[in-house]
Amino acid sequence: MAALLRPARWLLRAGAVPGLPLPLRLLAGGPGRPRVALCLPAACPGPAAGGLLSQARLYAIAAEKKNYLQEEPTSSHRRNASQFDWALMRLDNSVRRTGRIPKTLLQKVFDNTCHSGSPGGNQALLLLRSCGSLLPELKLSERTEFAHRIWDKLQKLGTVYDVSHYNALLKVYLQNEYKFSPTDFLAKMEEANIQPNRVTYQRLIAAYCNVGDIEGASKILGFMKTKDLPVTEAVFSALVTGHARAGDMENAENILTVMKEAGIEPGPDTYLALLNAYAEKGDIDHVKQTLEKVEKSDLYLMDRDLFQIIFSFSKAGYPQYVSEILEKITYERRYIPDAMNLILLLVTEKLEDTALQILLACPISREDGLNDFGSFFLRHCVTMDTPVEKLKHYCKKLKDAQMHTSALQFTLQCALLANKPDLAKALMNALKEEGFPVRTHYFWPLLVGYQKEKNVQGVIEILKGMHEMGVNPDQETYVNYVFPCFDSVKSVRAVLQENGCLPESNVFSQAELKSEAVNGNLDYILSFLESNTLPFSFTSLRGSLILGFRRSMNINLWSKITELLYKDGRYCQEPLGPTEAVGYFLYNLIDSMSDSEVQAKEEHLRQYFHQLKEMNVKIPENIYRGIRNLLDNYHVPELIKDVNILVEREKIDSRKTMQLTISDLESTLEKLKAENQPVGDVLKQLILMLCSEENMQKALELKAKYESDMAVGGYAALINLCCRHDNAEDALNLKQEFDRLDSSAVLDTNKYVGLVKVLGKHGKLQDAINILKEMKEKDVLIKDATVLSFFHILNGAALRGETETVQQLHEAIVTLGLAKPSTTISSPLVTLYLEKDDLPTALEVAIDCHKKYKILPRIHDVLCKLIEKGETDLIQKAMDFVSQEQGEMTMLYDLFFAFLQTGNYKEAKKIIETPGIRARPTRLQWFCDRCISSNQVETLEKLVELTQKLFECDRDQLYYNLLKIYKINGDWQRADAVWNKMQEENIIPRGKTLRLLAEILRNSNQEVPFDVPELWDEDEKHSLDSSPLPEESNLQKDLLNACQWKKNKDAYNIFLKAQNRNVVFNGETYNSLIKLLLTKDNFTQAMQVKDFAETHIKGFTLNDAASSLLIITQVRRDYLKEALTTLKTALDLEQIPSRIAVTRLIQACALKGDLESIQAIQKMVNGLEDSIGLSNMVFINNIALAQIKNNNIDVAIENIENMLTSGNQTMEPQYFGLAYLFRKVIEEQLEPAVEKISIMAERLANQFAVYKPVTDLFLQLVDSGKVDDARALLQRCGAIAEQTPIFLVFCIRSSRRRGKVLCFTC
Amino acid sequence: MAASAVRGAVALRTSVGRPVAFVRKIPWTAASSELREHFAQFGHVRKCIVPFDKDTGFHRGMGWIQFSSEEELQNALQQENHVIDGVKESLFRDRDRRLRQTNGRKPAFTPAK
Repeated sequence: MAALLRPARWLLRAGAVPGLPLPLRLLAGGPGRPRVALCLPAACPGPAAGGLLSQARLYAIAAEKKNYLQEEPTSSHRRNASQFDWALMRLDNSVRRTGRIPKTLLQKVFDNTCHSGSPGGNQALLLLRSCGSLLPELKLSERTEFAHRIWDKLQKLGTVYDVSHYNALLKVYLQNEYKFSPTDFLAKMEEANIQPNRVTYQRLIAAYCNVGDIEGASKILGFMKTKDLPVTEAVFSALVTGHARAGDMENAENILTVMKEAGIEPGPDTYLALLNAYAEKGDIDHVKQTLEKVEKSDLYLMDRDLFQIIFSFSKAGYPQYVSEILEKITYERRYIPDAMNLILLLVTEKLEDTALQILLACPISREDGLNDFGSFFLRHCVTMDTPVEKLKHYCKKLKDAQMHTSALQFTLQCALLANKPDLAKALMNALKEEGFPVRTHYFWPLLVGYQKEKNVQGVIEILKGMHEMGVNPDQETYVNYVFPCFDSVKSVRAVLQENGCLPESNVFSQAELKSEAVNGNLDYILSFLESNTLPFSFTSLRGSLILGFRRSMNINLWSKITELLYKDGRYCQEPLGPTEAVGYFLYNLIDSMSDSEVQAKEEHLRQYFHQLKEMNVKIPENIYRGIRNLLDNYHVPELIKDVNILVEREKIDSRKTMQLTISDLESTLEKLKAENQPVGDVLKQLILMLCSEENMQKALELKAKYESDMAVGGYAALINLCCRHDNAEDALNLKQEFDRLDSSAVLDTNKYVGLVKVLGKHGKLQDAINILKEMKEKDVLIKDATVLSFFHILNGAALRGETETVQQLHEAIVTLGLAKPSTTISSPLVTLYLEKDDLPTALEVAIDCHKKYKILPRIHDVLCKLIEKGETDLIQKAMDFVSQEQGEMTMLYDLFFAFLQTGNYKEAKKIIETPGIRARPTRLQWFCDRCISSNQVETLEKLVELTQKLFECDRDQLYYNLLKIYKINGDWQRADAVWNKMQEENIIPRGKTLRLLAEILRNSNQEVPFDVPELWDEDEKHSLDSSPLPEESNLQKDLLNACQWKKNKDAYNIFLKAQNRNVVFNGETYNSLIKLLLTKDNFTQAMQVKDFAETHIKGFTLNDAASSLLIITQVRRDYLKEALTTLKTALDLEQIPSRIAVTRLIQACALKGDLESIQAIQKMVNGLEDSIGLSNMVFINNIALAQIKNNNIDVAIENIENMLTSGNQTMEPQYFGLAYLFRKVIEEQLEPAVEKISIMAERLANQFAVYKPVTDLFLQLVDSGKVDDARALLQRCGAIAEQTPIFLVFCIRSSRRRGKVLCFTC
Repeated sequence: MAASAVRGAVALRTSVGRPVAFVRKIPWTAASSELREHFAQFGHVRKCIVPFDKDTGFHRGMGWIQFSSEEELQNALQQENHVIDGVKESLFRDRDRRLRQTNGRKPAFTPAK
């Protein structure tokens, strides 16, 4: 491996450590850091060299202050210190990132400082310091006002100012070009008994010079000389400006000679002053000459200096020269914040065009298209009321330059936030023109604005505007944003009508309903529903009704409304029918309530259910079961019986309503056809319905029958249906017919994708490619989701190893431009070979992708595999390629991660120690996330260990990731070790790291050895504050948590731990645990828990659900006796076991031929059949099966025949389903029984006209593949063919069960 | 009231561990219907909530998606990039059930057939 590393080392330049831009850090840091001039770019010809001095001074003063503060009580000291750190951090971050401090942030820091009691001197300094050029978004005068506000307020609060504060104020004055009288300023200082120092005088000279007052400057200069204060470069620079502004360029130039004579060499600052002076005069020639002079000397100007010249030119009205200076800018990344500052300043000065020019020149990476740049510019333009035409132009420019992907949308957001309706409207129109959607919620902020002032006219204007733009207000718009503006909802309708903006649809009525519902006004709802004539679906009402119900306790109204919905055809026309619609409604109603709410309203709900019962409202069985489970979970099982009374007793198949609809349509269709009337609509409706039923066979038959009446819509649905059923043949045929019908018709994107998928899967590549071509030709909308679907198609094929499919489809997709090449879309190309373990080709393909598309799909996986296989040559090849194409650093990281991933830690270490390598936070985080999501603890640990010395590495972040993975694994010991490691490494953990660590320790009942930093979020804080809970409730919480997440092992371990510590939980908890263990089939453990609970909690019993699960588990393990006992115990406790548990037990007994047990069960559950949901047929089927198993075939048959033919029938023949018995008999190959049953079934049909058994038998024969027997039966008993309802139910069921459709002809 | 409280009202009935994803960094231009459209590619979106701040008329950049099944949720979580309206979203499994409870409402559910 060492050989491998050589080229990498060789290629890397030895560690060049670039300087970090840390503008504000200097305030807190010591001297000796690189000089950073902060006077950019406001015209501040002030003494920059003095900057260095004053920085050092500030630091010294901060230190003095510290000493002073130590005399105060320590607590306030500490508070001040942390307050200072916080403020510094906030402001510093802002400057580093954006080159400025937003006004709101400064205001926030200021308010916070004030609240902290008596602000320290360093805080005052920090705040004052921020009121100059760091506020480019404020006008110069506003900045100074701000500084004065701070000054006065802090003084009132008792802050003691020293000379540093006065100097800071002076600096702010200079940066803000504030006109003031230097003599007054000095007088003020004298009054406060503060001695001015050299910096004060220098700045006062600059102040005079800024207004061209050489005389004033000379006076101060003379004064300095008498005091023997040294005259520095800063003074001379100021004088250059002074002469220039006095209109005397000659003397300005002369200052440089004077300087030299005085023994001071002019530095960059002096030249900058001169350059600015020429720029203000628009003298480009002299600027150029001076710049050349500087270049020739060994001085050099930084970008930020050049920015100043740009500003001087622009402000003086010479924007034409900006581009010439821009050419000279080097655009080092660290100057981007300075450029941002300049751009904002230019906008503030209404020089937006120049600002844009600079913005567009910024070197921003545009690779991923996700990082927008320029938002700050647009936002500030909106604030400064830049005309909309200009804004639209800027947006276009930014978009064309690929700097900002959604400039218009962003600008619109700014306009909305700034509450500028006219601008917003114009921008929305622009969006629309550009083909972007204008969505309803775009108008909400505007409505909020008017709503706050109760401005009805404004709201109407917005609604009109929406109408003009073709955007329809939805229910939420009305309820949340329009209605609150009015005194009553009633008045809204009138006003809207007056203004002609009442919508024609029923949205408004729905909104009214919703709004009344929110207020619990059920009277309104009832009368509305009674008088309403608009078509409303139940679903659209459901949400409002539930809201209304929950806010009103008038049960009579609850019932009346429910009854109306149930009985009035207007509301239950949906395919659901009233029982299901109302059933779902009840379910949703209860589900929307919290458990405490249901508990509190128990009596009301009971009353409600009983009133419904009286009104003869019924709900289906399955929904009842859902409600039952809900009530169980809410701990109000007492209500279950009250819901149970609503269950619809007749066992009507819920699909029957659907069948009716389909058959209705069929007969209508036939009727229309016979009358020679157009059938198009009905046909389409029927096809759509069959499609939603997934009944492909029938839908295709229908199509074949009515071929000539088919329209485009029907075809589209059918094509999609065939695609879903993986039926490539028919899908393709249909598509061709579709094209013949209308060659210009376009399917929607998903249907095209479906076709591509199914055709590709069935090897019809050319057809699939043709579809792709068509998508391109017809300009089908390609969304991100579509691209992802393409990926899934390709990836599926790659996993199946279909090389041709992947390559051809990928090629087509990419060359047609349906998807841009990306690592995602192209990764299947590589996956193909990775799956086949063909590494050379995999690498070749990846490299090929890079050559073609500049992407390297799955390179990490390829490298890992290469390393595992020890393919040194190929690794070398991959590395050479990556370093050549993407840089050495990328290559090193690729290799590092691959070595880590494959466990070659030594090699990984060598890589990461390569000189010059530095941290790449995003790549490191990428790998951390990978490790965490696949729970690779060791790999992550190694990563953290190996990166210890990595330059600029955010250690805290890495340890944070490590803690995350420990938390997932509940490993507090290692988490604790991290805490120590961090101390060893001298890392200052962030708040979030400490909080995470504390959480891990607390979760494991460990002490937290440090102060947990406070959280901002009240909610989270609360959860942490409640930490000193007793052990048992903590453990119990953990256990319930584990149960909730179905972590049976964790849950069981917590149980064991609690057992060891003699902690006993409540019965509920044990029941949950037992249920979980049983679902996971941990029978022994479940029994252990049950035993423990029974011996430790008096009267512990399993609840309904746990008992049922236990029965099922016992049956599965063939412990039938025990299962029977469990059932008996449960029933003795008046529990209602689940239907499935009882059925399973009965079936198991039957297969054993254990007739007695079945009969015992029948006795036990006598009277409870309805609550359990147990059909009598279960007993009939299984008793017969048991008898047959005991060779009592004749008895079984006789019993059944009796039941079906005797006068007192227990069950309607059409529901007398023996399918289970037949199936079992056939499955178990009980041939004599099959024969006798067949005879019985035929006899029942032929002699008693009872056709259900024979049809069931026929179907079971078909289903078991005994087609010949079935055919013979059918020939003997032709009536089977007429039992269509039974067939339909069977077909639907079996197609759902197996995803296949049986075909047979009668 | 959540953005789409009444728009879609179907879901799966499991009282614990509902397959819900928590989405952050939703661009302001997208509301629940856009989210729903995006996540439909991973499976059936039963419920999609993007709460709006009635004081500002903007949402807070986060939302919840409930799928029909855990598998669909995993599909969505495994996808590396989620881009809606050109903005990259952050997607998490929703573990903080407390959040929705304190918000005072849970999504509406109907029993699975």
